[in-house]
Amino acid sequence: MHQLASRLLATNYGSPPGITSQNKDVRFLWNLTYWFAIPLGLIVMGLVIWCVVRYRRRPGREQIPHQFQYHIPIEAAYTIIPVVIVAVVFGFMYTAEDRIDHVAKNPAAQVKVEGFQWGWRFTYLTVDGRNLSRAEQFQEVGSVANEPSINDDSSLPTLTLPSNVTVQLDLFTDDVNHSFYIPAALFKRDLIQHVTNTVDLNFLKTGHFIGECTQFCGTFHPFMRFNVDIMPPAQFTKWAAAQKPGSVTYAGKPFDSGIPANIFGAGN
Amino acid sequence: MTIIEERPERQEHPVERRLAEIVPGPEPHGFVKYATSTDHKQIGVNYMVTSFLFFLFAGALAMVIRTQLIVPNNHVVSLDVYNQIFTIHGTVMIFVFLGPFAFGLANYIVPLQIGAPDMAFPRFNAFSYWLYLGGGLTLVSGFLTSSGAANFGWFGYAPLTEAVHSPGAGADLWIIGVGLTGFSGIFTAINVVTTIFMLRAPGMVMFRMPIFCWNQMVTMFLVLLAFPVLTSALALIYLDRHFHTHFFDPGDGGQPILWQHLFWFFGHPEVYILVLPYFGVVTEVFATMSRKPVFGYKGMVGATLSIGGLSMGVWAHHMYTTGAVLLPFFAALSLLIAVPTGIKFFNWIGTMWRGTLVLNTAMLFCIGFLFTFLLGGLTGVMLAEPPLDFQLHDTYFIVAHLHYVMFGGSAFAVFAGIFYWFPKFTGRMLHEGWGKVFFVLMFVGFNLTFFPQHDLGLRGMQRRIGIYPAHQGWDFLNMLSSIGSYIMGLSIITLLWNFWRTLRKGERAGDNPWDGGTLEWACASPPSHHNFESLPPIRSERPVWDANHPEDLTKVGH
Amino acid sequence: MKLEWRVTLGAAFFLLAAFALYWFTSYEDAGSVLLFFGGTAYILLFAFILLQYKRRHGTPRAEDRPDANQSDGAGEVAFFPSNSIWPVSLGIGFVFVAVGLVYGAWYFAIGFILLLGAVIGFNVEADSRTESDSHPEQHSHTE
Repeated sequence: MHQLASRLLATNYGSPPGITSQNKDVRFLWNLTYWFAIPLGLIVMGLVIWCVVRYRRRPGREQIPHQFQYHIPIEAAYTIIPVVIVAVVFGFMYTAEDRIDHVAKNPAAQVKVEGFQWGWRFTYLTVDGRNLSRAEQFQEVGSVANEPSINDDSSLPTLTLPSNVTVQLDLFTDDVNHSFYIPAALFKRDLIQHVTNTVDLNFLKTGHFIGECTQFCGTFHPFMRFNVDIMPPAQFTKWAAAQKPGSVTYAGKPFDSGIPANIFGAGN
Repeated sequence: MTIIEERPERQEHPVERRLAEIVPGPEPHGFVKYATSTDHKQIGVNYMVTSFLFFLFAGALAMVIRTQLIVPNNHVVSLDVYNQIFTIHGTVMIFVFLGPFAFGLANYIVPLQIGAPDMAFPRFNAFSYWLYLGGGLTLVSGFLTSSGAANFGWFGYAPLTEAVHSPGAGADLWIIGVGLTGFSGIFTAINVVTTIFMLRAPGMVMFRMPIFCWNQMVTMFLVLLAFPVLTSALALIYLDRHFHTHFFDPGDGGQPILWQHLFWFFGHPEVYILVLPYFGVVTEVFATMSRKPVFGYKGMVGATLSIGGLSMGVWAHHMYTTGAVLLPFFAALSLLIAVPTGIKFFNWIGTMWRGTLVLNTAMLFCIGFLFTFLLGGLTGVMLAEPPLDFQLHDTYFIVAHLHYVMFGGSAFAVFAGIFYWFPKFTGRMLHEGWGKVFFVLMFVGFNLTFFPQHDLGLRGMQRRIGIYPAHQGWDFLNMLSSIGSYIMGLSIITLLWNFWRTLRKGERAGDNPWDGGTLEWACASPPSHHNFESLPPIRSERPVWDANHPEDLTKVGH
Repeated sequence: MKLEWRVTLGAAFFLLAAFALYWFTSYEDAGSVLLFFGGTAYILLFAFILLQYKRRHGTPRAEDRPDANQSDGAGEVAFFPSNSIWPVSLGIGFVFVAVGLVYGAWYFAIGFILLLGAVIGFNVEADSRTESDSHPEQHSHTE
């Protein structure tokens, strides 16, 4: 109980505060929705409770009530007021959605994100605003095959990204549908074949976060997780420089460095 | 609606409304009656009992799901079995329980409420029941195959449903089973619409039909639009799997996104197909138990029609995160649906306003429905906004939302309908004390199960995972949720006990135990073959009330 | 029947309007096609009901008159069979044929036999009805 209460105080009505610049809009929409929803919900619940308590049949109140059926002013009011509310919410939402879906022409970093059954492959295409040639690109891969347990985050592939600059992600899949989701960033986007999805994120906080696949994609769907490492731009530049061009790392390790076998002994 | 000044007396010896019979002779009983009857009441009961049995089965599957998730990294069942279980749980609840239960109510109640002797096509009606039963059994028979039942979730997104990713007979049985229930739905819809258009009693103009009939009619309009799309989509995926076509197979230029469009073009109207009949049920219960006519009858009809219309244009709000749909169009229409739904809410409150509320079990479930459906509706408004949906889609927040709508909404109304019409079905009253125990356990268990899931979603727990890591702060909420689900299971046992004792030695109900106003209370409990001995004159949407309370007629105007 | 054709016309009109709006804002094929054909399907239903309505030359049915009495609906309502084995036979046959799509020949065979029997049975039943209608003295009316 105490845990829940403190959580409500620390967060935006239970929703995490978010770590990207786009999350300001999400927070605003949460607030807007709650400003309407909480009073509206309380009014409706209050009316129901009041009706039940006030008009319940009890000794001394068993008569047949007045058989009225219409009250045009009240009916008109509860038709028109919700229309206005909906129009206001839609107006704000429309602009917010435009900003969230905006895609920049020249992002500072660009990563190709591929989901497969059941893992992730991150290929770095642009670093510090410079397009890497095919030979210079480097890759990070990880799948259920090298996750010893669902509790072990260190065996997950890591998506390393800079903060405070625009990061562009190109989302692809070669098999079933997946969905790229970073709960802390309050954002997800599906990976579907023949649908080109490019999203921009601008992280404001550095640190370590968890990402997940949210679109059900088969047996080992719960294992399809990844780490997100957000570091300051300078540190990211240094990290990228340390990556060998053309290298492929498996959960941060070279391929032959004794990857632990999955407990299920299966995977891709 | 309008009350004509001179009201004719009820005729003691009504003029014959004769019916042609082709098989005269003794009435069959037992299994023969179950199998051969074309009486709408028998078929309605068949539908309701069958769908309730499937509900118990799918509920048992839900218990397994919650047991698996009670602690992190749990291994009660394997991941593959878990996937089969939640797929069949969802499919059965949607296609084989909620929808067909509403069809059963439509079969039983609609002809009674409009004063018809039977449905328009009785044998066709029986035929669609057998398709439904066959479809349901085909669906769950997947568990008996060597490769297990379907395991791709109830909306079966391609290309996961393609033969490469889901080999085995379970997936095919799922396709065939859902297709058969789809056909059954189409046939029932044709039947109900024809019955409402063609078989009303004299004087029962459209605007005197009870709200339940209006809602059923709009529901069946939606069925006629939505189910053929589903059936054809299933045919396409079947061809993909067995005849190497490439409708959804991306390898050769098929479009996986097309499946999502087809499925949700069916799937969103389906949500309203599962909810509108139950709106009708609670409307009837509110009016009867408040001893007043429905408040804002015309507004209610308008709200139903506009929900029906709008629901055809919002399918892609299930697809916001695909990045392939026009967000503002769908967001605007989805938000707009809140308006007619709100009108319905205020009309229900208006019906209770200044009434004399009889707080029995049916009414308690309707009041519980108001609370839970309100919450489901408000979270629905949040999910209709694409930026919030980007955060919440496919997390447990969605699971909570859909259960608040489907269970807290529709299933609560199922229970209200059972308690309300059980005397009409069987001639006996369900026990009120046990009913209230059932309501309290169900309401507490339901909220304990699904309310924590909102927070789980906000904390980033994605749906459809059989195991989850321990260090994400999800364990306590999952534990609460599982405990709640066991309380719900317990409450269902009290309901079953209530059925059992009532059918054995329940208190006899008269023709009209609740002093209801609509026509089904004018016939015997249970109604005789072809329903009515005589009909009261129909001068408002509550002919029976008008006949029983000549000094308290439905007032016109305001 | 006025309201009936108006409701179906309204549904058709709404779907076609939604089609136009959707097509010209999104140019997305699947949804547009579905909305368009949904609308035209309702035009068919509307046209059928309107035809029935016109055939009555403006005489409303008893169920469309607010002041109708029960006696106005006198006469035979429609034909309602009581018990029949054929729906269940047809249904099981249909299910077997459908399951045959998964498991092949044997299910098809059983299903088709049941279907054939049911279709013949339905026809015989319909014949017996016509016969009994032509001999009203043998016909038993039940209330």
